[in-house]
Amino acid sequence: MSQYQFLIRRGLQGLLVVWGVVTLVFLLRFMTPGSPVDFVAPLDASPELRAQIARNLGLDQPIYVQYAQYLGGLIQGDMGYSYIRGRPASGIIVSRIPATLELAVAATVVAIICSIPLGVLSATRRHQPTDYAATTFSLVGISTPNFWLGIMLIMVVSVGLGILPTSRRPIGLIPAIELLIFQFETVGIRAWIAHMILPAVTLGTYFTAMIVRLTRSGMLDQLGQPYVEAARAKGLPETLVTYKHALRNTMIPIITVLGLQLGSLIGGAVITEFVFNWPGLGTLIIDAIRVRDWPIIQGALIVIGIGFVVINIVVDALYARLNPRVSLE
Amino acid sequence: MTRNGPILRVEGLETRFFTEEGQVNAVHGVDMEIDDGEVFGVVGESGSGKSVTALSLLGLLESPGRVTGGEIWYRSAELADSVAEETPTAVDGDYVNLLGLPDRVRRTLRGTHFSMIFQDPMSSFNPSLTVGEQIAEAVEAQQRARSNPRSVASRTQGYGLSQYLMSFVSSSRKYVSEESRDRAVELLEMVGIPDPVLRAEEYPHEYSGGMLQRAMVAQALAGEPNVLIADEPTTALDVTIQAQVLDLLDEIQAETGMTILIITHNLGVVARMCDRVGVMYAGEIVERGALADVFDSPVHPYTQGLLGSVPDLGGSSGRLQPIAGNVPSLLDHEMPDRCYFADRCPKAMEACLRKPPELPVDGAAGHTAKCYLAEEPFDESTALPDGYFEGGSTDAADPADASGAAEVASDGGESE
Repeated sequence: MSQYQFLIRRGLQGLLVVWGVVTLVFLLRFMTPGSPVDFVAPLDASPELRAQIARNLGLDQPIYVQYAQYLGGLIQGDMGYSYIRGRPASGIIVSRIPATLELAVAATVVAIICSIPLGVLSATRRHQPTDYAATTFSLVGISTPNFWLGIMLIMVVSVGLGILPTSRRPIGLIPAIELLIFQFETVGIRAWIAHMILPAVTLGTYFTAMIVRLTRSGMLDQLGQPYVEAARAKGLPETLVTYKHALRNTMIPIITVLGLQLGSLIGGAVITEFVFNWPGLGTLIIDAIRVRDWPIIQGALIVIGIGFVVINIVVDALYARLNPRVSLE
Repeated sequence: MTRNGPILRVEGLETRFFTEEGQVNAVHGVDMEIDDGEVFGVVGESGSGKSVTALSLLGLLESPGRVTGGEIWYRSAELADSVAEETPTAVDGDYVNLLGLPDRVRRTLRGTHFSMIFQDPMSSFNPSLTVGEQIAEAVEAQQRARSNPRSVASRTQGYGLSQYLMSFVSSSRKYVSEESRDRAVELLEMVGIPDPVLRAEEYPHEYSGGMLQRAMVAQALAGEPNVLIADEPTTALDVTIQAQVLDLLDEIQAETGMTILIITHNLGVVARMCDRVGVMYAGEIVERGALADVFDSPVHPYTQGLLGSVPDLGGSSGRLQPIAGNVPSLLDHEMPDRCYFADRCPKAMEACLRKPPELPVDGAAGHTAKCYLAEEPFDESTALPDGYFEGGSTDAADPADASGAAEVASDGGESE
């Protein structure tokens, strides 16, 4: 099967999954108690006003009509109007995507850069101080809850030492880069980096710790394989045996986990975003849940679902590339 | 290079594994001499230390294994010259003691002076690289080792991690040069792989076992080594394919005059390929000599037993005679201070309760055995009774042995 056929087929499967997500998210509203009208209408609203509001929001229609309308809107990129802000939900959600993506990607990149070499060192220097340090770090990293780490970092680094800023960042990556390119001004990018460090560390620690473990056990497994001995027997330097031969095969399962984790970072950064008041999807969702702003909640969840599906397709394609024994079937 | 003397002289090689259960004497006191251009066979049961001997020769032992004693003298005037300055103690004329060289020098010998064929081709190739690339990689490593011995001192041998990382990202950035690739194809053709250009681009799982073993031979030949070590080269293959691979080794040996060390448990392979043979048991070479001498008139009862356990297609001499018992434990504290084979030996005598005589180190052509029977004929009157070693040894007449057994028992009691 060619790569394109594979992508098309996986794309169609992905669409099916997204449809499932949409349906579930839509039904969520009917499964939770309380009507959005309670939040939108004034406390002393008359029954007539409440009925009027419900009619305006389209809540008086039967459920299947609402569903059809919602689906029809989605196809055109319309996620409805925010109950509270009175603006299209899609616009609000899209404006929040870059911040979340930047955080997720930064955390992942930091995690990959730190964890894979650490895992390899840990495996090649088994039962030496490096190994003990790495395994201790990964145990601590896996057992530390995100929100606690975030709060501690803020307390120590921002409040205590006063080195890095704590909350809402002034500028996104793209405007910062524009500023850098067109005006040779580094203020933007520096601010961006300063605001990114703590959230990325918070979000990336668990991730790093987990990949260190995976890399270590994978490498130990691969280094015991006969082909490693054969590679040494033909005179390859140890660095090449480790990084070219063993690591390549270790990466195959790690890529899968990386992909799944990146997906969950996009959705699961909610707590970290909230702790750092990060202007991303996570904060948006929490704010929206507080006021039952359903179009925003639904839209954001759907966007996260789509992100997950896309990342999985990319991972599968990459997997086939790394592992020749898997054909794209 | 002078023509006198063997190319490889192993003296008292001792390899131990330091495991949690205790020290395992996988190889203790192996002596052998291998002449230039001969095919030497090392034969023995699994667990007799054959493979460990091979790995010790190449310096490929992994922790917890370590060579703890002995010398491996390898004749190469070129090598002797190049290492004479750095490690003068390891050089003696044209001979170099491999165990006296630093690890990085030993690495440069792999592939160029010594190369190895492994038992299972399917697991001895990296599954995620093409066969051609893996052979080309060997070509390249060995060219580097030859052309610039200094570069091999670096950890990456001039490869560079960035180049490696790029090869991950873009498939057009190949890790090995075109010349090495061409050479790989040439090597594949040499070992009789059809369509070598296409096959070089295939992955190991797309090969059959026999083809892959050929490819492994090609890889081993990449650096034109002087000594080829074949560790059970045919064990994982079908019988018909086995013959083909042996033919191939034969041809290559005839063409290049390479010295081949074959390690196998298969007496048929030895009989077909080898000029001389050493029989290994419990980490020792117990009998050694020219193929015809050892096979036609074996001295050591173990060799006799091995030969007796091979079906004979010609004459129907009745039932096969298996050797009773199992390979002994090689744990240091469990190894008895006697001939290690005595407990399985049908001709065990009282003399066998002492260490048998060592094999003479040289005497390359001679036929010798580490057994009292080599010196005197079997004497019925001193033969040990049946079941002597089966737990009843403390009641036996020999008081020295009885105390030894009691010691072992009390040792066990303390550790519990």
